[in-house]
Amino acid sequence: MIPVRCFTCGKPISTAWEEFRQRREKGEDPKQILTDLHITRYCCRRMLLTHKVIIDELNPYQ
Amino acid sequence: MQIEFASLDDSLARFTLSGASPAFANAFRRAMIGEVPTLAIEDVRIYDNTSALFDEMLAHRLGLIPIKTDLSSYSTQEKCTCGGAGCPGCTVTYTLSAEGPRMVSSSDLIPQDPKAVPVYDNVPIVKLIKGQKLVLEAKAILNTGREHAKWQPTLVCGYKNYPAVSISEACDACGMCVEECPRKVLAVRGKKVEVVSGKLSDCSMCKLCEKACMASGIGDEPAIRVAAEADRYIFVVEGDGSLPVKEIMNRALLYVKEQSDELEQQLGEISGDEKK
Repeated sequence: MIPVRCFTCGKPISTAWEEFRQRREKGEDPKQILTDLHITRYCCRRMLLTHKVIIDELNPYQ
Repeated sequence: MQIEFASLDDSLARFTLSGASPAFANAFRRAMIGEVPTLAIEDVRIYDNTSALFDEMLAHRLGLIPIKTDLSSYSTQEKCTCGGAGCPGCTVTYTLSAEGPRMVSSSDLIPQDPKAVPVYDNVPIVKLIKGQKLVLEAKAILNTGREHAKWQPTLVCGYKNYPAVSISEACDACGMCVEECPRKVLAVRGKKVEVVSGKLSDCSMCKLCEKACMASGIGDEPAIRVAAEADRYIFVVEGDGSLPVKEIMNRALLYVKEQSDELEQQLGEISGDEKK
């Protein structure tokens, strides 16, 4: 799961994740998506850029 | 002491504070970060959790969700009439129950007080697949950023001295400093370098322009000088949405005032001066 807030500044970035993921899958430039979503600081930008979803891999193992 | 706003809305304020000591500017900054209370989830009782995340992980994620705070209707637990036991005057209870397959988000948190809703209703909490269940009860309390960063009302909250750039008569408009400036504060106009109007506050006082001026072979002294105005500060305050920035500032200033009044009173008691 995407962290709720940015580790460094505390901005709630998880709200932008779903849109970011969908638009990136469509092949848009991540730089432009982040700018559109008003994520300006590089601490917050790396949160979305470097996130890897692993919950679907964890789910079969209870 | 004077505050002049460059921009102000609910989530971001930029202003200059003039006529204040460095100590006051820092006290103000620290009060905004650490002494203005907000609501955040502190206790979570989990009745059923068959999701892929551990209970602790869920509780941690819930704690970080920003909650709209009405400071006039809540008080901190230590100041509450219930004495910290937890009553509607200091605690908000949330219930959440969800069954997969679906994404559980902050809008699934049902508050007992409809005013204390999460700021954003699309904060993802956990993704459930078919057959997974989540039932819990959470309690949010009022506390300060001094205790834990989840109660901090601010994100970015800082200040710098107001820059003062002076360009002497020795300037030969070679343009070396203009090229060097990373913030594009300078420009050549006529036979002299000038600060672009409205850009002065962008200056980070890195002094690369001074170095570039020296490198251009102007002599022993650079023609451009960057200094800081001693009693003027540029503040940037960004809120996380739980409180409007203006209220954060008001509460922080009240806190500083209260603290200094107390100090004055105690000093008076020590010195035996019973004026107040």
